[in-house]
Amino acid sequence: MSLRPLSRLFQNWLDKRMPPTNSVALNLRNVFILPTREGVYFSILIIFMMLAGINYQNSLVLALAFLLFSMLMISILHTYRNLSGLTLRSAGSKPAFAGDDAGFDVNLIRSGARTFEALQLGWHRHKITGADLIDDQQLIVNLYLPTQKRGLLNPGRLLIQSCYPVGLFRAWSWVDLDMKAVVYPRPIVAGPVPGATSNIGEGDALQRDGVDDFYGFRNYQHGDSLRHVAWKNYARSDELLLKEFAAYVDRRIWLDWEYLSGEPAEVRLGKLCFWIVQLASGPDEYGLRLPGLEIEPAKGLEHRNKLLLELAVFGSIDGQGAGSTS
Amino acid sequence: MTYYQIPRNSLAWMLVSQVAVILPHVARLPVWVVLVVVGCVTWRTMIYQGRWAYPGRWVKVGFVITGLVGIPLGYKGRVYGLEPAVSLLVVAYVLKLLEMHQKRDAYVVILLGYFVAITEFLFYQTIPYTLYMIAVVTMITASLVGLNQTKSHVRPFKTLKLAAILLGQALPLMLVMFLLFPRISPLWSIPLQSQTAKTGITDSMSPGDIASLSKSDGLAFKATFEGEPPRFPQLYWRGLVFSKYKDGIWTRDDMRPSVWRHRQAVPGWVDNISPIGQRFDYSVMLEPTHQNWLFTLAASDIPDDRDVAMVREHSLVYIHRRGVSSKLNYALTSHLDYRLDVNPNAFILHRNTILPKEGNPESRILAERLFAESTNHKDYIRRILTLYNTDAFFYTLQPGALGEDEIDDFLFSSKRGFCEHYSSSFTFLMRAAGIPARVVVGYHGGEYNPNGNYVAVHQFDAHSWSEVWLENEGWVRVDPTMAVAPERIEQGIEAAVAEENSFLSDSPLSLLKYRQLLWLTEIRLQLDAVGHYWDTWVVGYTPAMQSAFLSDYLGDFDTKSLGAALLATFFSVLGLLAIVILMRRSNTPLSALDQAYLNFCQSLAKQGLARAVGEGPLDYARRIKAQRADLADAIDQVTMSYVNANYGGGAPGDIKEMKKAVRRFQLKTLL
Repeated sequence: MSLRPLSRLFQNWLDKRMPPTNSVALNLRNVFILPTREGVYFSILIIFMMLAGINYQNSLVLALAFLLFSMLMISILHTYRNLSGLTLRSAGSKPAFAGDDAGFDVNLIRSGARTFEALQLGWHRHKITGADLIDDQQLIVNLYLPTQKRGLLNPGRLLIQSCYPVGLFRAWSWVDLDMKAVVYPRPIVAGPVPGATSNIGEGDALQRDGVDDFYGFRNYQHGDSLRHVAWKNYARSDELLLKEFAAYVDRRIWLDWEYLSGEPAEVRLGKLCFWIVQLASGPDEYGLRLPGLEIEPAKGLEHRNKLLLELAVFGSIDGQGAGSTS
Repeated sequence: MTYYQIPRNSLAWMLVSQVAVILPHVARLPVWVVLVVVGCVTWRTMIYQGRWAYPGRWVKVGFVITGLVGIPLGYKGRVYGLEPAVSLLVVAYVLKLLEMHQKRDAYVVILLGYFVAITEFLFYQTIPYTLYMIAVVTMITASLVGLNQTKSHVRPFKTLKLAAILLGQALPLMLVMFLLFPRISPLWSIPLQSQTAKTGITDSMSPGDIASLSKSDGLAFKATFEGEPPRFPQLYWRGLVFSKYKDGIWTRDDMRPSVWRHRQAVPGWVDNISPIGQRFDYSVMLEPTHQNWLFTLAASDIPDDRDVAMVREHSLVYIHRRGVSSKLNYALTSHLDYRLDVNPNAFILHRNTILPKEGNPESRILAERLFAESTNHKDYIRRILTLYNTDAFFYTLQPGALGEDEIDDFLFSSKRGFCEHYSSSFTFLMRAAGIPARVVVGYHGGEYNPNGNYVAVHQFDAHSWSEVWLENEGWVRVDPTMAVAPERIEQGIEAAVAEENSFLSDSPLSLLKYRQLLWLTEIRLQLDAVGHYWDTWVVGYTPAMQSAFLSDYLGDFDTKSLGAALLATFFSVLGLLAIVILMRRSNTPLSALDQAYLNFCQSLAKQGLARAVGEGPLDYARRIKAQRADLADAIDQVTMSYVNANYGGGAPGDIKEMKKAVRRFQLKTLL
């Protein structure tokens, strides 16, 4: 985030005046209002009209110029009224892979019967989303922000503005709803999961009574098949033991940082991310080993997101590796 | 560049307001420009309806060329002036319609629309026009509002209503500005003047000119008197003085003595006026003439007010320096009796005896003969007037054409003439006898309106008479029309031409034609008086008027204190409006039912059981019942009657029941 000194000053001032909080009510304190470019042109038009009225000594031309000027003044009140009294509340975020758009949900709430029309919301220099709060008491606006780097994305201040009803003035506010979205590393296409081919059986979850692989011995019980009796052992020790075979139904796969030694950290994370996404759609349980961190293999969406989160924040000091994108 | 679509709501109002704003201009626009307007608006409407595509480049070039060539064609080569300028504005305005792709372009169209709207006031300033323009401005504003509304809320009349509310709220502020904004004189002379030949007195007079002017029922001016106005025959409204006669045309003298502004500034040798007798104080509201002379009851003092733009010429002609491009109100004090140039000024007397060397031989012979028979100048004048009175001369609005020797032709063959024939021939005969004489043009008479104590003078009151210089008396008015048609001077033109029934024969719809219908006349005079108040207090609210009006309330004031008063009042009113606009809780008032339920919620909130945002009535009831089992019954009662009334169809008694339930509940919480 490279800010020129002036806008940094402004940001600091904003932070003091409107500290981050997950719910902001718009009022005189935090709504700004200035003419739009069209409002400036409109004022110039009024000046021309007044010159015409003075030079032609025409009272009605002057009266119309005065009427339009008065309307311009009245429109300040209406535009301000279209923002003040509105409450914005953070309503969560949706994670994204770096390079995709992270989603932020903002809850717009109106109290009383005042309606809000033609609102515009968006992050600094990003796409503006329109919203109306007329029939409903509240609504949730989904905002998206492109991401670049993994980490916890702080979108910065959200712009909410409105030029309603005549577009000659713009009322706006920069609100910091203290929102964050998790940005996973960008998946990098890697080969098959290393453990899945060479290291099968690393885990210990077995289905007994299988036929695939020798597993161990157990005492013969009446009714057991004689085919699996360990006759050699019987000859040595007089114990009738049965050879047990097991089949692997589930596999416990470890995704290990060390598999990818020699590659840059971000590439490693990208590949791990790719595998997690791959494995999440398969039947296997998988765990993750990162330097200083080990997560036991498991399955499910929650587990997947937990792992991806670790990848997202890996290496960041305070858990906020990546900043906002702008 | 993203694809932008102008909201249909806005576009619809844009098209409607565009037609409405151009409509009053159409009569003034060249036919080619009207074609461009119709073409562009039709094309844009077709695009709007999805039938046509945007025009190609060559079509647009065609429209541009038609408009640009059409303007000089329509104004006979004139490209400099108010009408061509307005035409150009209109062409730009409609062409921009076909170039409207971005939101920016829509703003340009809307701003141009406002500007075209004001130009209408440069031509007309009546109450009906003003009301019409208010409607037009509301429609333009509706297109501005539509541009900023959400597309999903397309309801054109809701948009119009919002525009009307905005303008309605702006109205008090506008009134403050109108009254208090310091009015100042023009900052620079206006380069663009309307050059349409307005019907009115022009700076030359040839036979038939005033007769044709008398066919118009257009208003020339209104004169409001303080106290009784002069009697009808005395109302000689002096305009211009013509001293030069050439080729049958009377014009102003090319060598006029200089003009001056203040009576104090008039040099002694030239102080040529001494007023006598009763004085009349009055003010004239002159319709725009786009000429620079004014009309007065001679002889008037030069008004000693701030409006220094008014000057007096030696021949008692009053000149407005800037030209009268809009209604002009000026106050005067006049003495109907006066002495002008009693001390002979040889140069001026000489200039007023010049005749062309040749032409009209019979008239010259007549003059010679009658002058020889006369005992003195006055006797000569009497003989000429007697000639008009006895010798089958006929006063008519249809005088017919005259030959090359127009005076001879009139005096000896046609003998049919309107006032200019009489004044012209009379002046000729005076000069032929060596008596200094000149022609004066202006108006005579006018219609007195008791509702406003003013005299309305119309174009058909146009008149011309003569002025003769006599020893010891100076310039004396002689009106030869009086000799031939005294009813013209005593009762007016309508009575004078009643016999030939030619009064306003070209305008059958003119209300002025039906003066014999008393009830119609009464209504017309009432409306006219209202219009006159409008002209005086609104249209005529000039710098002078403002200072006169405000000094009643503010005492002595200057621009600075006026500015302070303006700012203080403006912001006080704006503050009041802010309270009204911002404190209004809702755009749509709550129903009684909702209000009752909200009262219920409020009294629970006082108990620390506020309803969460978005929590439905039933969920809310369930939650609070769990916390306040003691109130469960009452809560249920209110909630159920609210839900039933609101969602269960609802019966007329529901609201009453609901209110009762809420009151019972509130009572219970108090106990």
